[in-house]
Amino acid sequence: MSQPPKTVVKRREFLKVLGSTGAAATAVGCFQEPVEQLIPYVVSPDHTVPGVSTNFASVCRECAAACGIIAEVRDGRAIKLEGNPDHPVNHGALCARGQAALQGLYNPDRYRGPMVRRDNRLVPATWDDALTLVRQRLSEARADNAAGGVRFVSHHENGSFGAFVDQWMSAGGFGGHIAFDAEADLAVRAANQAEYGSAWPALDFAAARVIVSIGADFLDGWGSSVAHQLSFADARGKLGTAPRFIYIGARRSLTGLNADEWLACRPGSELAIANALLSAVGGSGNTTIAAAATASGVSEASLQRVADELRASQPSLVLGGVSTPDAHLVALAAARINKAAGNVGITVKPDEGLSGLGGAAGAQALAALATEMNAGSVRVLFIRGANPVHALPKAMQFAEGLTKVPLKVSFSSYPDETSELCDVVLPDSHPLESWGDSEPVRGVLGLQQPVMDPVFNTRAAADIMIALARADNAMSSRYPWATYRDFLATRYPAGGNAFTEAVGKGLGQGSVLARNTTSAALPTTPQAISGDGEFFLVVHPSPALGVGAGANKPWLQELPDPVSKIAWQTWVELHPSAAARLGVGNNDHVTVRTAAGSITAPVYIYLGIHPESVAVSLGQGHTVYGRYAQGIGVNAVDALGATFDGAGRLAWTQAKASVTKGVGGARLVTTEGSARQHGRGLARAVTAAQLAAGEMGVEHHEFIADASHEFKPGLRSPVANDAQGNLGDSLSTKKGMYADDHWSGMASRRWAMTIDLARCTGCSACVTACYAENNIPTVGARWQGRSLRPFHTADGAGWDNEPGANILKGREMAWMRIERYFEGGEDGSTNFETRFLPMLCQHCGNAPCESVCPVFATYHAPDGLNVQVYNRCVGTRYCSNACPYKVRYFNWHGYGEEARRQYAFPEPLNLQLNPDVTVRGKGVMEKCTFCVQRIRDAEHLAKAENRAVEPDEFTTACAQACPSRAIVFGDAANEEWSVARQVEDQRAYHVFEELNTFTAVVYLQKVNHPAAGGTR
Amino acid sequence: MSRRRSWALASGFFAIAVAALGLSAYSGASSSQGFAPVQPVNFPHPKHVQQLGMNCLYCHYSANRSPDPGLPAVGTCMGCHTVVQGRRPAIQGVADRDTASINQLLSYAKGTPDQWKPIPWIRIHKLPEYVHFPHMRHVNAGVTCQTCHGPVPEMQRVYQYASLNMGWCVNCHVKGYNLADGLLAAGDTAGARAAGNVEPKKARYDCAVCHY
Repeated sequence: MSQPPKTVVKRREFLKVLGSTGAAATAVGCFQEPVEQLIPYVVSPDHTVPGVSTNFASVCRECAAACGIIAEVRDGRAIKLEGNPDHPVNHGALCARGQAALQGLYNPDRYRGPMVRRDNRLVPATWDDALTLVRQRLSEARADNAAGGVRFVSHHENGSFGAFVDQWMSAGGFGGHIAFDAEADLAVRAANQAEYGSAWPALDFAAARVIVSIGADFLDGWGSSVAHQLSFADARGKLGTAPRFIYIGARRSLTGLNADEWLACRPGSELAIANALLSAVGGSGNTTIAAAATASGVSEASLQRVADELRASQPSLVLGGVSTPDAHLVALAAARINKAAGNVGITVKPDEGLSGLGGAAGAQALAALATEMNAGSVRVLFIRGANPVHALPKAMQFAEGLTKVPLKVSFSSYPDETSELCDVVLPDSHPLESWGDSEPVRGVLGLQQPVMDPVFNTRAAADIMIALARADNAMSSRYPWATYRDFLATRYPAGGNAFTEAVGKGLGQGSVLARNTTSAALPTTPQAISGDGEFFLVVHPSPALGVGAGANKPWLQELPDPVSKIAWQTWVELHPSAAARLGVGNNDHVTVRTAAGSITAPVYIYLGIHPESVAVSLGQGHTVYGRYAQGIGVNAVDALGATFDGAGRLAWTQAKASVTKGVGGARLVTTEGSARQHGRGLARAVTAAQLAAGEMGVEHHEFIADASHEFKPGLRSPVANDAQGNLGDSLSTKKGMYADDHWSGMASRRWAMTIDLARCTGCSACVTACYAENNIPTVGARWQGRSLRPFHTADGAGWDNEPGANILKGREMAWMRIERYFEGGEDGSTNFETRFLPMLCQHCGNAPCESVCPVFATYHAPDGLNVQVYNRCVGTRYCSNACPYKVRYFNWHGYGEEARRQYAFPEPLNLQLNPDVTVRGKGVMEKCTFCVQRIRDAEHLAKAENRAVEPDEFTTACAQACPSRAIVFGDAANEEWSVARQVEDQRAYHVFEELNTFTAVVYLQKVNHPAAGGTR
Repeated sequence: MSRRRSWALASGFFAIAVAALGLSAYSGASSSQGFAPVQPVNFPHPKHVQQLGMNCLYCHYSANRSPDPGLPAVGTCMGCHTVVQGRRPAIQGVADRDTASINQLLSYAKGTPDQWKPIPWIRIHKLPEYVHFPHMRHVNAGVTCQTCHGPVPEMQRVYQYASLNMGWCVNCHVKGYNLADGLLAAGDTAGARAAGNVEPKKARYDCAVCHY
């Protein structure tokens, strides 16, 4: 990774230049190739070489964690985001949401420039016009002595921006600023602050001997999920001595599915359980186990066992993170358990906690604003980054209030439910196009720099505010800085030059400008879940879409939910027993009705939900928000009222609901196939006890390996060099392109991969990384699925006109997918286990696909790759038929061809395409290549430096992104690579080894930690 | 009857032969070898390379460190042509400059640098998008530019010298590149003589070396 240049941004004049654009013009003469133009730079930028990437360190803004990122920029365009290996939070890993920030940057539905409302429509305007209007209204407000009626709602971000807005508002004599975060778990932050003195202590899962999570979904986006996952995977990586993980909650989230044991409790009863556990470890919980058992529906014996474990296994780690109105009390109790059990400083480290979280407000703060707006006392409202109209319940009447504000100014980059109601849109530059800072850990500054020039005619909100202030006589004296960058550089402790240097690394020393915050005491009275109905409605954020901001990014829409494996949809989770009682099955519509409203969505029958609950995920149901989000699913907030927890966040799990069978249904857009392994031994596991005793492979499989076939562990089995036969040397008796001693050394390599199922959490970051790296098209958009009759009627209606239709037809393109299997629980009991199995091309040494290809489009490279040659492929699909792993994907509609309706990269999404990877056309088979472009890059680099490729020098995109560090890639033929050692692990196995495919992907069995006396 | 059948067979064979001929002609025609478009600026390579002795890498500045050879920015041209302007009469034995061509360049470089426009060159050498050709690997292996691009220093108007078909690529990868031949193509006879009879440099030729 090259060091980012020092003086980076000013000199880049990228938009003028753009390497070689494919401006296909008129065909000349009899040439079949269209004539292209080569457009050189006007003036060559320093520090860049055409065709060679430059890396810029910056900060991810997709959630509050503010991970460090490295943006790979080729010829002026960001093409890939990876974690910053030096960053104290994410250490080089990056989640799916972080990766998908690129699709926010290149979103085809972004505002192209400023907009102003005329004749009740937002129409394009010039910056001058739009800013003049804003300036004029601000002076009018001041002239009318109503400057206090100028208000600001921002999306809270970790950094100086919040305090910068505070200063701006006070400089102008304006009213208050609310830094809203719809997703952040404010209750936990407040409770942590009260108990530990740190809003989000660092959690050391690996130091714990038992982990208990009471609804805290630390792998799903709760707090800082990449940091949590790195640590949790390290804990699981201890294998036999790994901590047991018990999840207590109404729904098994992704985090819950990773638990060794699930105690399914009634929503709202978590407080009783937390207090009972607190009493059990010697704290003042004032609740007995028996009382908690009665309230929660969990057996007394189970709770007693957990209490005993907590007492016996210290240090432990107890997390409370529910979304009921009692959330703050549960979090307080969990923190007190940690204190009583002596975990603080060992598994909970307040001194190393996340910083920069102060000053965030929840929905409750906006309720007060909505009241004022409705009363007509707000003159001008600025909104930046937040989408309250979508995130807040209708009962809060925020949208109605907006209509009563004379001037609403939105800084939104995308048309969303809120910005569409505004009068002026001053589109903000994307975080990858603007400056900023964050304080991930106390004393460490994460520095956010623009990695490229703005794609559209946008300006950074902070720069707009500085410009407005400098043009305002009352404010200009307080704004000596021309830009936000100057502001940040001026306040950098070590000075401007040090700032410039630190920006190159993305990290510096110092603190962000903090907001002045006063923390109110948390209320202590428990608040019960209200309403009538036989079900508790459990609403939770989506791991991929959050509470809605991710919905306009096709990678995230296409990413199957890690739990349900459903994409492009909203679904209602029902327990099998509840579904039977209601007489509904998968795909049937149900209506979930609360006092506040109702939603209708298809049923997904899920074992991991409490029988008295229904669960719905947030994130969908956008009425505006671009082509990929609009009209997909329903917004679960529509069924919620204005009930908040003690810290002011909207209580997502707040009400009881009635569930009735609705009219018709909608096919679930699922990639699940079967949730069961049917004895195939795909995803295998051992218990810690078996591992200790060396009893591997004791699980019963229906299909056992052929006893006559000698299977050698690891990758020592014979490998067919090349299914094509003798192409290179006609005299060679070996089947292979090159002789074993060929100078290239190709024949002595074997690229291979290990995937440690003990570490894998199923988070799916690898899947999105693969989409980003390999130009994989998303295929689920509404307009991509429609085909000819008989699927739809003459007017174009029909199921294949619905989002995800291509996926319903089995035409998804995910080169890498996470298969999710359940073990046990057939009787509906909570005692089931989940196994995640990342499945990608296995690069078989003896590949069934290769021998059936009639045109040699797929063949075995001497270095162990199963290669797909797109330009040879004629699309017979024999290979896909022959593949036992079903990892070959056919390009049905020419998703890479601009002229087609199904085009997956509408301008400017195509700017993200990786120039090192072919964009496949219609009618070819495609699949995982083991990131062959990265292999070639490493070879190029090694050759340029006149050396061999060094062990572990590079890795694939999936392995790079993996926040569990479960994937290891390398040359298994060379002992110096980590992968060569991993394949010799006693847990190593191949999927379908009985087929003699000699795969190059080796899985390491999951390790389970059943409760004493249990089997799973 | 048997005679008639043999005649029918003969015409069938003839049809196949014609089809084969047509196909082979077609496949040959699918190369744009010889393509020599009129460029927006009539850049005389002979003047710059042969007369002024400029190195290829001066303008194609990333050919030895990037897959992409690089094109000179207008700024690179203007580094000299700010001074070396057109419209100057031949004086004291110095030949007249190619005023028309220089003026073509200057039409893209009017005013201050921020008003300059890029020159929309017409692309001559183009490999399909499913082929990855890393220039630097070839240049650093000692393959002279002329080996593939032909006698560009002599071309008043650049044309596509080689077919750039896959057979042409693979031929060199399999048989190997002869350094002496390459230097000879570059006009370096002394170098070619000095290089002597070294082992041709071969390269890998399985599909995934270039196709991915």
